[in-house]
Amino acid sequence: MAFLELDNVSKSFGQVEAVQNFNLQAERGEFVSFLGPSGCGKTTTLRMIAGFELPTAGTILISGNDVTFKPPQKRNTGMVFQAYALFPNMTVADNIGFGLKVAKKPSAEIKKRVAEMLALIKMEKFGDRYPYQLSGGQQQRVALARAIAIQPQVLLLDEPLSALDAKIRVALRQEIRAIQRELGITTVYVTHDQEEALSLSDRVVVMNNGCIEQVGTPFEIYNFPQTEFTAQFVGTLNRIGATVRDVANGELLIDSQRIVTAQKLEGVSNGTAVTLSIRPERISFAADGRKPNGLNVRVENITFLGSIVRVQVRAGDNVFLMDTFNNPFLKLPDIGDVVEITFSKEAVLVLKHA
Amino acid sequence: MTHINQAEILNHPLRVTRTRNISWAWLGVLPFFVFAIAFLILPASYLVVGSLQDTKENFTLANFADMFQPEILGAYWLSIQVSVVTAVGGGLLGFMLAYATILGGLPRWVRNALMTFSGVASNFSGVPLAFAFIATLGRTGFITALLKTAFGLNIYEYGFNLYSFLGLSLAYMYFQFPLMVLIIAPALDGIKREWREASENLGATSWQYWRYVALPILLPSLLGTMILLFGNALGAYATAFALTGGTFGLATILIGRQIRGEVLQNPGLGYAVAVGMVIIMALSVSIYSWLQRRSERWLR
Ligand SMILES: Nc1ncnc2c1ncn2[C@@H]1O[C@H](COP(=O)(O)OP(=O)(O)O)[C@@H](O)[C@H]1O
Ligand SMILES: [Mg+2]
Repeated sequence: MAFLELDNVSKSFGQVEAVQNFNLQAERGEFVSFLGPSGCGKTTTLRMIAGFELPTAGTILISGNDVTFKPPQKRNTGMVFQAYALFPNMTVADNIGFGLKVAKKPSAEIKKRVAEMLALIKMEKFGDRYPYQLSGGQQQRVALARAIAIQPQVLLLDEPLSALDAKIRVALRQEIRAIQRELGITTVYVTHDQEEALSLSDRVVVMNNGCIEQVGTPFEIYNFPQTEFTAQFVGTLNRIGATVRDVANGELLIDSQRIVTAQKLEGVSNGTAVTLSIRPERISFAADGRKPNGLNVRVENITFLGSIVRVQVRAGDNVFLMDTFNNPFLKLPDIGDVVEITFSKEAVLVLKHA
Repeated sequence: MTHINQAEILNHPLRVTRTRNISWAWLGVLPFFVFAIAFLILPASYLVVGSLQDTKENFTLANFADMFQPEILGAYWLSIQVSVVTAVGGGLLGFMLAYATILGGLPRWVRNALMTFSGVASNFSGVPLAFAFIATLGRTGFITALLKTAFGLNIYEYGFNLYSFLGLSLAYMYFQFPLMVLIIAPALDGIKREWREASENLGATSWQYWRYVALPILLPSLLGTMILLFGNALGAYATAFALTGGTFGLATILIGRQIRGEVLQNPGLGYAVAVGMVIIMALSVSIYSWLQRRSERWLR
């Protein structure tokens, strides 16, 4: 049985349906991210797990116990907030020990645990500092230590890195993941940053408009987006208009040129207009040997990005991008050239329409 | 387009002007300094000098020694009592009101209404305030009469007297608690929702949140503002004078009578009493600003 379970959870604020029919089953020790644009209901869902909001429908179970209507104090979750929510009147050590103090643990035990936590976040020397004497990144590490100190069953993080500089963000997210692995703590991580979600998570829940779009491993989410939204939100997306030529054989037409998809065509008939998605990195210039999908396009723009060269091409009304590795011994086409590009059948995804 | 032009104007010529002609900025604040010197520094020095002179303008400390007489000590004591009672009472009432409207999740308009009222009421003092209280809680006042006819309750028979300590304190409360509301509101705005949620998340009860987080953060502002209220009541004169006709022995009233030559017969002693008040006020304001700085450090 799943350790953290959300069953058909919904939440509305008056007319606003912030979260609709949210289902999730997270295993013990799993790192799950909620990924989606601002306002899609990530925070609201997290706050329902923590107990700060009550669902309008559905149930929430932690370790088999129904906590749907329990107050936050009774849930044993540890939350790290987006803004610095450290208690400003307490030292770092007192902040970390707060949960144990209010649980009336003996002070020797608190001291020991605080020392462990300070070591865990590599801030042994900072126990006596006040929050206003710390950098943003240090404050978030203390916030993490404070949340973990009470040995919560579930760790909840709401965009904990969004207020930090890019460099610190990357370093700290690795640190969070390492600590999470070390402690084996079931974690829900909210972010609007796809790179963060993909690089950290065991599984990603892509959300849009209060609904789940797709749940899967980062690999699945990136390589096999099931909806147009997911494909568009995660990674760079080429959206290409096409018409169905032959449902049975998976044949499509782009700008009257025939291509094939490995995907089964369902719910469409010959002549139906569809939208395809192909990742830029799955397209390459055609070498001599014929590949199943070849497409003649005109080169419109070339952008040198270092290890990668991004080429913008046009086929009829469709403009899209292809990424090729930078190879100093390969001559790139010139702008205006007509070239043949190629991609595998598997790279062509027909997007579900919402 | 326009904002780019504005930015250029703001960034360029002004900055140059400001560094080159720094003296022009002083012209703007000149009235303030003139005002401060004319009406604060000069009178204060005048008071201090006067308090150190006998009737023949010779230096003496006798005026300060003479302050230790029952009438003067009594006046100070009464002033301090009224000030402490109304500062603590008005402070707590104002704090609870502000807390309920700002952090209690009440609709926004309640807050706006309270703030507007407080802005007006905190400045409502002196003769109009005294008159308002006489008209409502005086012997023949509106509310006194209402209580008598509607409930058969004659508050004056139960020992209430508007022209007494209790009555005066009630009148002072009228401007004390709104002042508390106005000054404590920013501190309450600084209390973040995340602090309460973090503490609940860590297992703290509401009481523990109060005891360990909210109260320690608010305490400097709370105490500081009460000290300000204390000074506010201590210096009040017109309300008490209008309400009691100058018979109530507050320190300010004593000074007022001294100025008019009704008692003491010794201007030097009058100055000494006033200097004593100035010292108490200065002390309160210093403690207030010290506490305020402490809490600002946390809240930034
Ligand atoms: N307390 C609230 N009252 C009313 N509407 C809210 C409240 N909290 C969130 N919402 C609305 O619910 C939706 C989801 O918000 P939120 O969960 O904060 O999104 P996210 O964290 O993904 O940015 C938004 O439309 C937001 O305006
Ligand atoms: Mg959010």
